[in-house]
Amino acid sequence: MEKLNIFVLEDDRLAQKVMGAHLAPHNVDMAADLDSALKKLDAGRYDIGFFDLMLGVNDDYSGLKAIAAAAKKGIYSVVVSSSDSDEMIDRAYALGASDFYAKGNEEANVGEILRKFLQNRRAAASDDIFTSAFITEDAETRAAATEALKYAPTDLPILILGPSGTGKTSLAKILHEHSGREGAFVSINCSAYTDDLLEAELFGHKKGAFTGAAEARKGRLLEAHRGTLFLDEIGTMSHNMQMKLLKAIEERTFYPLGSEKPERSEFRIISATLEDPQALIAQGKMRFDLFQRIHGYTINIKPLARRRADIFPLVHHFTKGGRRLSFSPDAKAFMQDYAWPGNIRELKKFTDLVSGGQQGRVDLETARRHLKGQCAAPGSAEDALYAAALAGGLDAALEKVSADIISRNLRENGGVRTKTLADLKISTRLLYATLKKLGLDTEGGKK
Amino acid sequence: MTGIDNSKLLHDLRSKCSSLKSAAELYKDCSPAEKKEMLALMNSAAAEIAKLLGQLERTA
Repeated sequence: MEKLNIFVLEDDRLAQKVMGAHLAPHNVDMAADLDSALKKLDAGRYDIGFFDLMLGVNDDYSGLKAIAAAAKKGIYSVVVSSSDSDEMIDRAYALGASDFYAKGNEEANVGEILRKFLQNRRAAASDDIFTSAFITEDAETRAAATEALKYAPTDLPILILGPSGTGKTSLAKILHEHSGREGAFVSINCSAYTDDLLEAELFGHKKGAFTGAAEARKGRLLEAHRGTLFLDEIGTMSHNMQMKLLKAIEERTFYPLGSEKPERSEFRIISATLEDPQALIAQGKMRFDLFQRIHGYTINIKPLARRRADIFPLVHHFTKGGRRLSFSPDAKAFMQDYAWPGNIRELKKFTDLVSGGQQGRVDLETARRHLKGQCAAPGSAEDALYAAALAGGLDAALEKVSADIISRNLRENGGVRTKTLADLKISTRLLYATLKKLGLDTEGGKK
Repeated sequence: MTGIDNSKLLHDLRSKCSSLKSAAELYKDCSPAEKKEMLALMNSAAAEIAKLLGQLERTA
């Protein structure tokens, strides 16, 4: 049996004992509090991590911080917690958790998680990725991914293009797993940081380098030494940062903030963007020399709406090891016609929603309810828009489209306005004007 | 018990009960030495559950 290195963050001694017993054949390392967890995660190499969220009676879900640290190191992170509210599940997944289980059924769940993990690892190793790690039956997508895999063991940079939610990060991880590189897969979403924070994240900093830098911190570039640095949404990076990154890529050395001593890191770059890089260059948003450095091999991932054959295999994959679903013919047709603007991420969310429902059989009404009735026969949305423009004028119709998109994105982001600004690349002015029109311009809104 | 967050009490209660249930399922497969250790931990968890129930009762 393959022995795994497993990390467990659990403050309750009895729960520790239970987890220890279920994981007995493997190398298990336990931590009972956040500090020791972060130290162990930083120093050790683990395949899987199991995380409790609330560590102690008045703890403020500090286990979440450990998930972020583990996910950053590419550890398959599984939450096993009694804190299983929707908000907590969303937060855990947003921080990089791979799975979330409610406490109480460890005998069945732990075995299932290990089985699934080993299965995925074997599948990735045997190139059988299209039925496990990167689900697709679409011939064009399979051909493109297979071609990209040929470059996985090389040092060539890879650029992954495709809309949000199409599986760019999954593909980047697979490419790393097939690269044979001994270092870690280190991922960073460039759009999630301001310039200063991104610089500190990428290059690291010395103690006291800036206000709040109480401790020295290793940057992602160094963490990716002999591994892969995955730069997601690279198109959002400022010119200044692009220049600094370019220098680090070219020289393989860089200076952490506040340090005069250069660090060396041999990382391979995989980057992704949902925008057209040529257009970004034409608009002056991307440096041509940086583009030259990151696009050794380019792969395009199509949106789910253009890979409709993947919808049900993906649902099947999402429900593996859990509640299986069956869809009525009209629900199936509805899902096939739906535009899936959020792509696979939206399909996963939909699957989670219907899996949690009362019936395992999903009918049209249920599918409609969870997809908010936005599916329409081809042309009908266009017709409705055309009719609205005729009735109220083109400006009013376009304003409504813009308000609908902003409102939907806010809803999907749990009302976090900064995320909507980044997702839709709109001005603060447009966002607030729209919120005002929608009657959502309250002080209580999430920033 | 004013000021005590009921949801945290319930969370702790659920968590301890879950651990106790999982431990009970494991118990039969333990060695005699492990059974002894397991029983001590289960007793301690049961005492904490009783304490939490007492606190919950006072908030009702």
